[in-house]
Amino acid sequence: MDVYEVFRRSGHKQPFEHCGTVTAPDSEMAMLMAKECYLRRKEGQYLWVTRRSEIHSWSDEALLEPAADKSYRFAHAYRDVVQKRELARRRAGQLG
Amino acid sequence: MTESLVAIVTALGDDELILGHRHAEWTGFAPHIEEDVAFSSIAQDEIGHAAAYYSIASSLTGLTRDALALGRSVGEYRHAVLCERPNSDWAYTITRQWLYDRADCLRLTALEESAHDDLRHLATKIRREERYHLIHADMWMERIAHGPIEGRTKLTQAATTVLSATAGLFEPFEREADAIGEGWLTVPSEELGRRFVGEAVDALDGLGLPAEVTPDGWRAEFVASSSGDLIATDRSGSGEASAPAGLGGRSGRHSPDFSALWADMTRTYRADPEATW
Amino acid sequence: MTYEQRLTDFRHYVGAGGKVEATDWMPDDYRAGVLKFIEMHANSEMMGAIPEREQIPHAPSLQRKMSLTAKVQDEVGHSQLLYRIAEDLGKSRETMYLDLVNGRSKFHNVFHYPTRHWGDVAVIGWLIDGAALVTQAALLESSYAPYTRVLKRICAEEQLHLRHGEVITLELASGTDNQRAMFQDALDRWWLPIVHFFGPRSNVDKDLLLRWKVKTRTNEDLRAEFLDRYVPKVLELGFSFPAPVPFESGGHWVLREDDIDWAPLDAIKRNQGPETARRLELRRSTYEQHAWVRQALAEPATQVA
Repeated sequence: MDVYEVFRRSGHKQPFEHCGTVTAPDSEMAMLMAKECYLRRKEGQYLWVTRRSEIHSWSDEALLEPAADKSYRFAHAYRDVVQKRELARRRAGQLG
Repeated sequence: MTESLVAIVTALGDDELILGHRHAEWTGFAPHIEEDVAFSSIAQDEIGHAAAYYSIASSLTGLTRDALALGRSVGEYRHAVLCERPNSDWAYTITRQWLYDRADCLRLTALEESAHDDLRHLATKIRREERYHLIHADMWMERIAHGPIEGRTKLTQAATTVLSATAGLFEPFEREADAIGEGWLTVPSEELGRRFVGEAVDALDGLGLPAEVTPDGWRAEFVASSSGDLIATDRSGSGEASAPAGLGGRSGRHSPDFSALWADMTRTYRADPEATW
Repeated sequence: MTYEQRLTDFRHYVGAGGKVEATDWMPDDYRAGVLKFIEMHANSEMMGAIPEREQIPHAPSLQRKMSLTAKVQDEVGHSQLLYRIAEDLGKSRETMYLDLVNGRSKFHNVFHYPTRHWGDVAVIGWLIDGAALVTQAALLESSYAPYTRVLKRICAEEQLHLRHGEVITLELASGTDNQRAMFQDALDRWWLPIVHFFGPRSNVDKDLLLRWKVKTRTNEDLRAEFLDRYVPKVLELGFSFPAPVPFESGGHWVLREDDIDWAPLDAIKRNQGPETARRLELRRSTYEQHAWVRQALAEPATQVA
């Protein structure tokens, strides 16, 4: 038997989420068992199962810390938009 | 006029209740933990179906669902003897569920033509769930039938025992002629039974199970050959000394297995007639 | 990095509230401790299914027959979740099962006792699940992350069980004399085991699980919370407690340490509870009978001609 990772999705607006694992002899039985183990209270309407050995994983927190400032990737880097808008308006007013 | 309808929904409710009761006994003891969870859902489904059938009976008789489910004497239950048999082993349980669900799908398909609105709608709802139960049972049957020899042997034995007892599911209901006349039923039980045996034998054959079946219940002896032929011999005239195992349920004749089950099942309910639960 | 350095780092990490995943490096002691703890929890859910399952056939209504089956199903489901994460720590399900049935691993004291009637269902569902919820909610902050994820779901379901148990209790409490007597009888038998459930006073210096932050609160702390929460509710319904009788002191419900007889718990620790042998034997024989099913599950299905 194999360990299967189970994912479920509750609607079209939600992404699939990992919800647990089952031990099962094949993917069909894994699906059936996962349905009862993880969806019996209608926690979702869609189910994925995949053999754990097929999952490729990556994690390295250190590599997620950039060496240089990469704040331009985030909204907070653009908080000066209000000030800049004001400057631009003033400049436009001077054109008259 | 409604007596025949009450008879049908009571018998169908009893089938589901008693089988559900047996299924629920596996909770905590199924052969694989994930399967334990899955099988318990099926047990709950069957008991839920019983409650729905009793609701119809309740609306016709004025008795509560629980009074129908737990307040009758042993001889007033109308389920097939097959449903009350102990779980025995996993092969027996799965085979019984597999054959029962096939039988039930046939019955329900016919009930979807019933002249009674509630019964017709209920049949549609239940059939949806039974179809899922059948997928579950199919998976197990296939895995065991195509697996190691020990399981195959057990499955063959179980198929032989269970198939012969399925006759009890197709004994006519009380007042069945009236029910047909009213249109509550559209297909006589005997006719459904004939269709069922054909399907069951084909399905067993598809699994490569050499189920030699000499049912006491069915009027004919038959052997499911590997070619799927039904070899029948007429047993009428062989003189039935005792009631065949598996028959009698529809008229309230049950096995000692049921007396024990009934005592357990109704114990709390009977303990205090004044109580509400 | 030496083992000692790693160990020190790990201690600091966990001490500062860091969470540990199955694939992270962890000290052998930590792995063994967490595994043992989760395994016992899994065993307890698995063995805990038995007492209530015994009452499923006796359920007094269709609704209760289904709801109690569903509740026991949840307990089995919890054992599935817990055995799965215990397996990921390196011990096979089969070994855990064999250790359980051969008495090499333990399960909670309350599951070593018999059930007699529907009153037991009320007490187990309300007070024992209530006690379990107090201890499990405290574990939500555990340092072992896979455990906390599983516990989140378990606690949500236990909340439901608690409601289920309370409703059954209230039905009995507001019912006939006979129904009230059922609850009182069950309470009389279960009260001491419930007090034991939290365990004897924790030894903070010696308890590795506390040190590793697998557990975050002491036994007596959890017992105190339970008493404050449930004793008034039971009294309000007009039921009474057997020894050790709780009493009010300084705004809290407490027990006199001397009133607690620990002998039954000591017997259970040696696997000598009233139902221990019978229930383990039931598990063992079922496990043996299912050897052929496990074989059928283990082997890839082959088409037979």
